[in-house]
Amino acid sequence: MKKFFILLLTILILTASVGCQQQLAATTTPEKQSPIELHIAAAASLTDVMQELAAVYAQEHPEVTITFNFGSSGALQQAIENGGQTDLFFSAAAKQMNALEKSGNLLAGTRKDLLENSLVLIVPQDSRLELNAFADLSRPELKHIAIGDPSSVPVGQYTEEVLTNLGIFDNIAAKAVYGYDVRQVLAWVATDEADCGIVYATDAASTPQVKVVAAAPAGTHQPIIYPAAVLRDTKHPEEATAFLAFAASEKARAIFTKYGFICK
Amino acid sequence: MELIVSLKKKLPAFTLKADFTLKDEVFALLGASGCGKSMTLKCIAGIERPDKGHIVLDGKVLFDSEQQINLPPQKRQIGYLFQHYALFPNMTIAENIRFVMPTNTAHDDKTIQKLLNTFQLTDLADTYPAALSGGQQQRAALARILATPAKILLLDEPFSALDSYLKGQMETELMDILPAYGRTAILVSHDRGEVYRLADKTAVINQGKMETPQNTKDLFHNPQTLAATLLTGCKNISRAQRIDDRHIYALDWDLPLKTVAEPSSQIKYTAIRAHFLTAQEKTAGENVFPMEVVRVIEDTFSYIVMVRPQGKAVKPLRWELDKQQWQQLKKTTLYLYLPPEQIMMMNS
Amino acid sequence: MLDWNPLIITLETAVTATTITFFIGIFLAYGVMRMHKGQGLMDAIITLPLILPPTVVGFLLLLLLGKRSFIGQALLQWDIHLVFTWPAAVIAAIVVSLPLMYRTTRGAFEQLDPNIIYAARTLGVSEWRIFWHILLPNTRQGILAGLVLSFARTIGEFGATIMFAGNIPGHTQTMSTAIYAAVQANDYALAEKWAAGIILFSLLFILSLNHWLNRQTRKAF
Repeated sequence: MKKFFILLLTILILTASVGCQQQLAATTTPEKQSPIELHIAAAASLTDVMQELAAVYAQEHPEVTITFNFGSSGALQQAIENGGQTDLFFSAAAKQMNALEKSGNLLAGTRKDLLENSLVLIVPQDSRLELNAFADLSRPELKHIAIGDPSSVPVGQYTEEVLTNLGIFDNIAAKAVYGYDVRQVLAWVATDEADCGIVYATDAASTPQVKVVAAAPAGTHQPIIYPAAVLRDTKHPEEATAFLAFAASEKARAIFTKYGFICK
Repeated sequence: MELIVSLKKKLPAFTLKADFTLKDEVFALLGASGCGKSMTLKCIAGIERPDKGHIVLDGKVLFDSEQQINLPPQKRQIGYLFQHYALFPNMTIAENIRFVMPTNTAHDDKTIQKLLNTFQLTDLADTYPAALSGGQQQRAALARILATPAKILLLDEPFSALDSYLKGQMETELMDILPAYGRTAILVSHDRGEVYRLADKTAVINQGKMETPQNTKDLFHNPQTLAATLLTGCKNISRAQRIDDRHIYALDWDLPLKTVAEPSSQIKYTAIRAHFLTAQEKTAGENVFPMEVVRVIEDTFSYIVMVRPQGKAVKPLRWELDKQQWQQLKKTTLYLYLPPEQIMMMNS
Repeated sequence: MLDWNPLIITLETAVTATTITFFIGIFLAYGVMRMHKGQGLMDAIITLPLILPPTVVGFLLLLLLGKRSFIGQALLQWDIHLVFTWPAAVIAAIVVSLPLMYRTTRGAFEQLDPNIIYAARTLGVSEWRIFWHILLPNTRQGILAGLVLSFARTIGEFGATIMFAGNIPGHTQTMSTAIYAAVQANDYALAEKWAAGIILFSLLFILSLNHWLNRQTRKAF
C-alpha cells in the first residue's frame, strides 16, 4: 500500500510538471515564430466558419496565431466576466454582448453587429410530407416537431416568437420536442426522428441530409444578430481590432455568406 | 493494582450508572446483552467518554469530568480483550504482536518468541488471523496484550464466540494468565457459569443500573434482587407476601412457605433453585406439597420435570433431578419438599 | 493527421486530478468520519457536485474562483488567472470526481470492524500508525474502487470543464470537448474518430483495471 502511495505521488509530480511544461511550451513556442497569440471566444454555432476565416487570415498575417475557444454564448460570457483571458468575443446573440458591455468588459467602440442569421423550417431530405410554410406545422399528420427549448436555448426563443406571432404555438406545443441546442434539433431532423424542425439558416446549410422548405415570414421575430467585440482586458488591442476589421471585410463576407449568414 | 470507577453516561435506552472499586481481584459484571456492561468497559478503556464521573487506575487519573481529564486510550495502559479478538487482519500473528510493542529492538524478537511459546502459537507465527480458529485467535489476542505494558485486563464476553469444548479449555488458560496482572481483571459476561468460576466479586447490571458488588459465592447463594436471581440462573420465582415472622405466601404458586430467616415486610419475591426441590414419600410437615406433573423433559444427564401444586391452575415449578432418581420415583405419588434454608427472599 | 492533443490533455488532466482527488478524498473521508459535529453538513457539501449538473458545478467554480470572487482577487495578486487554463480543467475534474472517491472510501472505512481500531488504540498504537498500517491496508479494496470511479469520472468530464476551463485546443480541449467542438463544426468524421477513441480507451482501461484489481484481491491476505 505504501509503495502504491509513493507511486501515485510520483505520478502526480511527473504529470503536473509535464502538464505545466506543456502549458509553458504552448505559450512560449508560438512566440518564437509569431509573438502574438489571439484568444478568440466564439459561439459554438460559428465553429466551422471561424476556423476557415482564421486559416485565411493566417496566410496574410503569419505573425498572429489564433487560438479558439468555442462554447455556448452564455457560458463564454460568464467565463469572461469571471476572468477568462480572451481578446475577442463573437456572440450568437445580442443579449450576452449587452451583458458584457454593461459590466464594462468591452473595449469601447469596438462592438460590431457583424452578422445576421435567419430562421428556417427544415424537413429530412427524403420527406414526403410536402410542408411548404410555417403555417403547415399545425397539420394533423405531423407527429414530432423539433425545436430549441424556448426557456433556455436562443433558437428556441426565436422559434416561440415566430410561432406565437403566427398564432400556432399552442397548437403544436403537444408535438414539440425540445432540444438543448440547435445542433440537436438539426440531428433529429437529419436522422428522420422528427418530421420537421426549426433551425438557423446556417445550420440548415451545413448538412445535405435536410432541406429548407420555408423561411420565417418577415417581421415575425427579432433580428438574429451576431455581434462581435474586442475585450477590455486584451493584451493585443491592435491585433484584435485588426482581426475584427478583417471579419467585416469583403473577403470575410464571402466566407460568411457561403455558410448561410447574412452580412450586415 | 487498584481501579476506581464511578461513571454516568446517557444512552439512548437508559442512563448507565456504574460505581465500583477493585483491587487485585477478578471482578465480574453480569448482565443480559444490551444492559450497558460492554459500554462500562469501553468507558474505562477510553473508547467511549462518560458524561460524568471519574476513573482512577493505581493512582493515575484516567478520566475526571470535573478536572476535565480524559486520557486517550493509548495512554491508559488497559488491556482490552474484545469479544471477537480484533486482531489486525493484514498482519500475521507475529506481526500483530510486534506492531503493538512500544520499542523496536532485537530484544523484541525474544519477547515475541516467548509469548508465542507461552500461548502455543509458535507454529502459527506467520499465519494470518483469518486462518486461525477462535481459540487460537483468542490466544493471539492475549499474547498481543501481554506484549504491552497493560496493568489490567478487560475481558468482554471472552468465551461467547467459542464452542463449548474450547470454552472450558480457554477458561483454564485464562486462569493461568490472570496472576500476571496481579489477578486484576474485569470480566463482562452474561454466562453465570463463567462468572461463578472466574470472578471473586460480581455486580449485576440491569438496564444500565449497577447493583452493589458482592462476593461472587454470596451473590449466587443469596441474591438480593430479582435481576440478580434471574441472572444467577434461578428458574423458580414467584411474587411473595409476608405472613408472619417465619412464613411467607408464594402468590404465583398459591403456596404458604416456611422460611429460616425472618421475612421483611417489604418482601416482593421468593425463589428456589430447581435442583433444591426434593421428593418425599408422603405429606409430612411444613413445605411439603402434593404435586402433579405437567411435563417431563429429558436433558443430557438429568430430567427436568415441570410440576404444579395439585388441583391448582397456577404457574408450574421447575424441578431438576438425576435420571436414576426420577426413574425410581416415577410410580409413587409425588410429594415435593421445598427446604426452608433454600428459600430465597427478595425485597426488590 | 489526427491531432493527439485532446488525448494527451485528457490523460494529463485525469491522472493529475485523480491523484489529487485520491489524497483529498481519503483525507476528507477520515476527517469527516472522526467529526463529532456537523458530519451531515460536511458530507452533503462534499457530495453536492455528484448531484448537481456539471454545468452548474462549472458555473459555481466561476463564481467561487473567478476574478470577481475573493479567491480570484487574491490569485490575481500573484498574477494567476485560472479561468480558461489547464489548472482550471484539473480543478473542475477534481471537484466532480471527489464525491466518488470520498463516498467510496468512507464506506470502506466504515465497513471495517471499529473494534479493530479500538483494539489498536488500547494497545497504545498512535493514530498516525493506525491510519497507515491498519485503516488503509484493510480498506484497500474500497479505496482502489474509489480511485477507479474517480478516474473514470474525470475521463468523461465535460460540463464543468467547458464552463470553467473553456474548450481551447492544445490547452484545455479534452476528448469530450473535442467531440463537442467537432460536432459544432459539422465535422462528424472527426467526432466519430474521437468517440471511437474514447470508447476504445475506456474499454482498455476498465479491462486492464479489472485484471489488476483481481490480482490485488487474490494477493490480499
